[in-house]
Amino acid sequence: MGVLIKRYRGAVPYLLLAPGILWLIVFYAYPALQILIASFWSGTLETGFTFSLSNWTTYTDALDRYQGQLLRSILYAGSASILTFLIAYPLAYTIAFRGGRYKNLLLFMIVAPFFTSFLLRTISWKIILGDTGILLGPLKDFGLLGEDFRVLATPVAVISGITYNFLPFMTLPIYVSIEKIDRRLVEAAQDLYAGPWRPGGTIAGLLIGGGLAGVLAYAFGWDHIGMIAAGAIAGTVIGTLFVSQSFLRVTLPLSLPGVFAGSLLVMIPAMGDYVNASLLGNPSTNMIGNVIQSRFLTNNDYPTASALSFMLMAMILVAVAIYGRILGTENLTSTRGL
Amino acid sequence: MTDQTSPIDRLAVSRRRFLQGTGLVGVSAFLAACGTSGTATQAPTTAPATPAGTAPESMAPASMTPEPSPTAQPTPSDVLNFANWPLYIDTDDNDPTKHASLEAFTAQYGTKVNYSEVINDNEEFFGTIKAPLQAGQDTGWDIVTLTQWMAARLVRLGWLEEFDKSVMPNYVANLEDAYVAPDFDPDNKYHAPWQGGMTGLGYDRKKTGDLTSVAALWDKKWAGQITYLTEMRDSVGLTLLKLGDDPAQVTDAQFADAIAEMKKAVDAGIVRQFTGNSYAEDLVSGDVVLAMAWSGDIIQKQLERASLRFTVPDEGALLWYDNLLIPKGAAHKYTAELYINFYYQPSIAAEVEAWVNYICPVKGAKDEMLKIDKDLANNPLIFPPADVTARLKKFRSLSEAEESSYNDQFSNLIGV
Repeated sequence: MGVLIKRYRGAVPYLLLAPGILWLIVFYAYPALQILIASFWSGTLETGFTFSLSNWTTYTDALDRYQGQLLRSILYAGSASILTFLIAYPLAYTIAFRGGRYKNLLLFMIVAPFFTSFLLRTISWKIILGDTGILLGPLKDFGLLGEDFRVLATPVAVISGITYNFLPFMTLPIYVSIEKIDRRLVEAAQDLYAGPWRPGGTIAGLLIGGGLAGVLAYAFGWDHIGMIAAGAIAGTVIGTLFVSQSFLRVTLPLSLPGVFAGSLLVMIPAMGDYVNASLLGNPSTNMIGNVIQSRFLTNNDYPTASALSFMLMAMILVAVAIYGRILGTENLTSTRGL
Repeated sequence: MTDQTSPIDRLAVSRRRFLQGTGLVGVSAFLAACGTSGTATQAPTTAPATPAGTAPESMAPASMTPEPSPTAQPTPSDVLNFANWPLYIDTDDNDPTKHASLEAFTAQYGTKVNYSEVINDNEEFFGTIKAPLQAGQDTGWDIVTLTQWMAARLVRLGWLEEFDKSVMPNYVANLEDAYVAPDFDPDNKYHAPWQGGMTGLGYDRKKTGDLTSVAALWDKKWAGQITYLTEMRDSVGLTLLKLGDDPAQVTDAQFADAIAEMKKAVDAGIVRQFTGNSYAEDLVSGDVVLAMAWSGDIIQKQLERASLRFTVPDEGALLWYDNLLIPKGAAHKYTAELYINFYYQPSIAAEVEAWVNYICPVKGAKDEMLKIDKDLANNPLIFPPADVTARLKKFRSLSEAEESSYNDQFSNLIGV
C-alpha cells in the first residue's frame, strides 16, 4: 500500500484538478471551439452549412456592420462599471467600517433582491421608471418634469438597469477587501500626520469627477457641459472634505484588488448583456448581445453570430490582460504593505 | 410533470424509426407487425403521395411489408405527442395540466395526449426539430403548431406528412373559407389552422380617440409612445397597407419602400420600441398609447384597462394563423389526423375558443359558442363579420432567399 501511495503521489494534484478541468473542457473549451468552427461556416440553415477558412471575411463584414453596437456595448458596460463603483465603494466602505453588528444584515439586504429572477428584476424597472409610474408620475404632476419627459426607452434606462443588475458583483468583492484591512494601519497613518489631502484631493476630485461625468454624459446622451460641471463640483467637494491622506495611502491601495475583481465581474457580463437593452431600450440602444441573439435565433445566421461572439470574447480577454497589467493581478494575492 | 416520461417514449419511438430508416427490412417488418403505433398500417396510404427524394424511409416498410389484409383498420395509438404554444388551449382553472377538450378526445379514442407547451418561437422550435427531419427521422412529435410562414417553409422542404382526408371529414367540411388554399398549400393537405389572429391597431381610446387609419402609427403627436412589432411580416405588412400595397403580392421594391417608411418613424423618435407581446403590458401601464397589436392580446388586456381598443384599419389588417402540422415520419400520423378531425367539430373548437380568444377557423363554432358565452360569440375580434374578413390580408409566402434578405433589411431597421 505504502508503495502504491508513494508511486502515485504525483497524480494527486491532477486528480484534484480533474473535475475543474473536465468542467472547463465540456462547458468552455468545446463550445468555444464549436463557435470558432461555426464562424467559418457559410450557407443557410435550410441547405446546410459548409466550413471553409476562406470565410474569414465573415469577421470583417460583421465588424463593419455592427461596430456601432460593439462600441455601444463597451460604452454602456464601462458606464455601468463606473456607476456601480461610485455606488458600491462608499456602500462597502460604510458597511465594513461602520456597519458594526448590522454588517451581516446590511450585506443580506444588498444580496436579497438578487434571489429573484434577473428578468423579473429588469421588468420591475419598467414599472418603477414608467412614464407615469411611481417615480416620474408625481414629478410630472407637480410640474417638475415636462409631460414628454421619459426615462424608459433611453440609454439612461439601459445603463441604470445594468448598473442595478450587477451592483452586488461590485459591492461584495470591494467589501471583502476593505473588511480585511487592519484598522491599526489607518490609525498608524493618522499618527504619522496623514491628515486631510489638500490641495491634492481637491484637484484630483475636480479632474476625476469631471472626467467620469463626461463619460456618463456621452453614454446618456445628456448635455456634456452641465454634466461635467456637476461632476467636477461633486468631485471637488468629495476630494476636499472626505478624502484623507490615510485613505489615499492605506485604505484605497489595499482595497484595489476588490475594485479590480469587481469591475471585471461587472464589465464582462455587462458587455454581453442583451436583456436590459431589449426591455428598457429603444431601437438605437441595442448592444452587441442583442445582435448576437437576433442573428442566432431570428435570422439563423450562425456564422455571423459566432464570429461576433468570438470577437467579443477575444476583446474581453485582451482588455482583461491589459487591465491586469495596469492594476496588477498580483495585487489580488500579494500582501504588500501589510 | 408528465413531461418526465414523454422523452423516454419519444426516444423509443425514434429508435424504431431509425431502424426502419436504415433499411433493416426484417427488423422493421417485425417491429411493424408487433408495433401498436399504426405506422405500418398507415404507411400504404401515405406512400403514393410521398414526394420523391424526401425521407424515403417512410416508404420502406410500405414497400417491403406485405399488403395489409383488406379488413385491417388503422387503430388509434396509445399516445399522441402534441407540441403547442403556452396558453393556447382550454385549461382547467384549478389544474393547469387538465384540458377538457383533450380529455374528451381520450374518452373517445382511448389515446392519451402528451400535450406540451414547448413552442415559444417559430424559429427556435424549428431549430429543435430540424436535425431529425433533415436526417429523415421522427421528431418525437405527432402534431406541431406553427405559424403559416413556418408551415410554408416546412412544406417547401418536404418535411410534413400529407393528410389522409378520408379520415378527416370535419376538417374538409368545417374549415373557414378564409383559410382555404393558401399559396403554400393550395390543396390544404399539409396544414390545419388551429387559431388565427389579426395584426392591426391597438390603442388606448381615452388618449387617442377612435382611430381608423394605419397612418396613425406615424403620427408625431404620440412620438415615443408608439410601438411596432419585432415580427417582420406584421410590421412590414401594416406598412405595406399604409403605402397602398398588398402584402399578398409584395415585391422587393415595395418591401424596401416599406422599410424606408418605417425608418422615417424610427429616426423621428416616433417608435418607442420594437416589441413582442410586451407592448400589451405597456398599453395597460400607459407608457404606450398606440401599438401594432395582435387582436387576442387586446381582448385579454381589456379586462385590465377597459379603454383599450383593437381596430382593423380602413387600409386593412394582417391575418396570421398557427397551424396543426404532422411532421414527416411522425409515429402516430393516423391518430394525429383523428385529432385534427376531432378539433374541427364546432363544439370542440368552441370549447377551446372560449378560453383562447383568438380567431376560430372552424365553421359552426360561433353557433356552439352562443351556448357557452354570448359575449364571446358576438365579439367581432373572435368571430369577425364578413366586412372585416374582407379587409384581412395575408403576407405571401417567401422563398428562402427572399426570407433571408427581408429579415436582414428588417434587422437593420430595428438595430440588431
